[in-house]
Amino acid sequence: MTVRPIGAETEAPAIGHTVIPSRWAKFWARNGAGYAFLTPWLLGFFGLTLGPALISLYLSFTNFNLLQAPTWVGDDNYVRIFTADPRFLQSLRVTFFFVLFSVPLKLAFALAVALLLNRGLRGLPLYRAIFYLPSLLGASVAIAVLWRELFASDGVINQLLAPLGIVGPSWISNPRYALWTIILLSVWQFGSPMIIFLAGLRQIPQDVYEAAAIDGASKSRQFWSITLPLLTPVVFFNAIIQGIEAFKSFTPAFIISGGTGNPINSTLFYTLYLYQEAFAYFRMGNAAALAWILLIIIALFTGISFLTSRYWVYYDE
Amino acid sequence: MRIRRRQFLLGSAALITAGAAGFRPASAAETDLRQIFWGGQERAKRTYKANDLYSAANPSTKLTGEFYAWDDYWAKLATETAGGNAPDLIQMDYRYIVEYANRQALAPLDEFVGKELDLADFDKDQIEGGKVKGKLYGISLGANSVASVLNEAAFKEAGVPLPDNNFTYDDVMTVGEAFNKANIRGGMKAFQDGSGVEPALENWLRQRGKGLYTAEGKLGFDEQDLTEWFQMWKKFRDAGVIPSPEDQALDTGGPLDKTMIALGKSAQSFVNSNQLVAVQAIMKDPVTISAFPRIGKDGKGGHYRKPSQLWSIASASKHKPDAAKYISYFINDKDANLVLGVERGIPCAASVRDAVAPTLKAQDQVALKFVSNLGDLLGPIPPPPPPNAGEVDIQLLPKSQEVAFGQATPEEAGPAFVQQAKDILSRKG
Repeated sequence: MTVRPIGAETEAPAIGHTVIPSRWAKFWARNGAGYAFLTPWLLGFFGLTLGPALISLYLSFTNFNLLQAPTWVGDDNYVRIFTADPRFLQSLRVTFFFVLFSVPLKLAFALAVALLLNRGLRGLPLYRAIFYLPSLLGASVAIAVLWRELFASDGVINQLLAPLGIVGPSWISNPRYALWTIILLSVWQFGSPMIIFLAGLRQIPQDVYEAAAIDGASKSRQFWSITLPLLTPVVFFNAIIQGIEAFKSFTPAFIISGGTGNPINSTLFYTLYLYQEAFAYFRMGNAAALAWILLIIIALFTGISFLTSRYWVYYDE
Repeated sequence: MRIRRRQFLLGSAALITAGAAGFRPASAAETDLRQIFWGGQERAKRTYKANDLYSAANPSTKLTGEFYAWDDYWAKLATETAGGNAPDLIQMDYRYIVEYANRQALAPLDEFVGKELDLADFDKDQIEGGKVKGKLYGISLGANSVASVLNEAAFKEAGVPLPDNNFTYDDVMTVGEAFNKANIRGGMKAFQDGSGVEPALENWLRQRGKGLYTAEGKLGFDEQDLTEWFQMWKKFRDAGVIPSPEDQALDTGGPLDKTMIALGKSAQSFVNSNQLVAVQAIMKDPVTISAFPRIGKDGKGGHYRKPSQLWSIASASKHKPDAAKYISYFINDKDANLVLGVERGIPCAASVRDAVAPTLKAQDQVALKFVSNLGDLLGPIPPPPPPNAGEVDIQLLPKSQEVAFGQATPEEAGPAFVQQAKDILSRKG
């Protein structure tokens, strides 16, 4: 940022003063009706989203405990979270591990299925619907409960492994595997990135492939040199959306660990920790601070993704 | 619809009488008491039936009840209280009553005692259990105690005698080994791993003359106690008399259907005496209860009678005297308690207990007798836990799992947990 002479700041409003009213009137004449129609949404946005968000920012600097009026404690919550909170660090570890593995695996799986479905299959709409189904059931409690039963010590997975002579562990209650079962659940819900990949694949012009085939490029060469580069905008979009979703993931860990984040805090997701602070220990101020830290983490993740995108995302000029 | 019509008729009848007598119809005004409690379908059914009886006798009072599972309950109650929208009648827990009372969310009940609220026949120790800093904030809905719930069929199948009230932790080893020899039901163990169960730790500490917390709200045990506690359970684990760490970790410390006894992993679980009814409801095998193990032949005083739940009145309630009158009915009325039974624990009014006892099923009798006949196992009720005690409780389970899964030795985990507990207790926000 350049340093502006002080005069510039006092001058600017003086100029604006004469211009703004007519601009404002023009703006209103052109867009007034539109905003009038938007009113219900605007009311919701300011009253139910922005307002509470700002209140939570205020509460994050208080010791609000739900039952008594909040009192201002300055940056105490933030300082403690960053300096003396082992569970905060553990929940970050778990969440980053989850994002790091679940997002790439889910995208790879979604892309693989999209490629299969893109080969001009008969009854494509049916397959598409079937593969999309898990995403609809998505973050539901029922699926998490089902997952718990599948991966328990006497669960279906181990019963399938038994005839192969494998005595499976109790996946959900072993600290080495518990988080992986939740990653697997997330990968299984590959439907929505798959649909977007499928649409992206349709956008790639066929003549590029024909030219490549004439030049003798193999199928795998075509994938790495044509399909993937031309699909990077879609990969980028999916990575951002799924990344944000992964940071916010809550229900599976809550249900599978009975709200505890155990065994040995191995499934203590950030959101689960936040929930415990808020609703098990009634430290609303602290929970609000945790929520704002998560917002900043997600914003950083998205920002960095956008910054790096110019090195690996190819937009069709 | 029929009720409304009847209420309307009653209302208009009152209006007419009042009009004839020449005063305002104050008595016809409806009081709507909102009531919230945690529990399952069975508890709701019994409670609503008792509510109907109350409304029939007091037509001017209408009761609207809501119930939730334990975890959801506290989130719901806290949010409603924060919104200035707390229900009139709140089912409280011994662990939470201090926090709610200290934060002025509950109304002191002392002013109603002897008037709306009749405690003449009520057990003294249970009245004490509802006090915070000398003031009465909750009325016990039933006395209970911790108890081992036992799968009778499994013990019979294994040919091992059922643990009784003289059972010791040394017996856990010998009986557990005998049980393993019988090898029943795909390697079922005799006992659950109790190293992460706070009530089991508390019971064991009390027999050593200590406790979870002192009267000043400080930690009541030290590194040495906790190390020995983890060592004892490691010994059982290494000998294979309790379930594997993986199996034990299936129990998240929450719903009863995830306990080791319900999952068929062990023939025993650490629960509360009133939960005998609820455990039996989810199991095919007949179950019974006995005391937690003694630390030695002369180990005593580990158990105590505590309020299983309490009725409290919200400080924001506009109908406090009416709510107090309802509580009085709930604890003293014989017909109501014939409906309520011992589902919430043993009734605390002596006359009610006498009236209910003969009508109980054999198993409910077991719970009643267990709590009444603890003998030398019974000790004084501990002081109410300090703020943040709930978090200490929750942290015991993952720490015990560190030992169970071999990530820490008992000698490391004991001091580590004591330090963690002290940090949590010293936290202000």
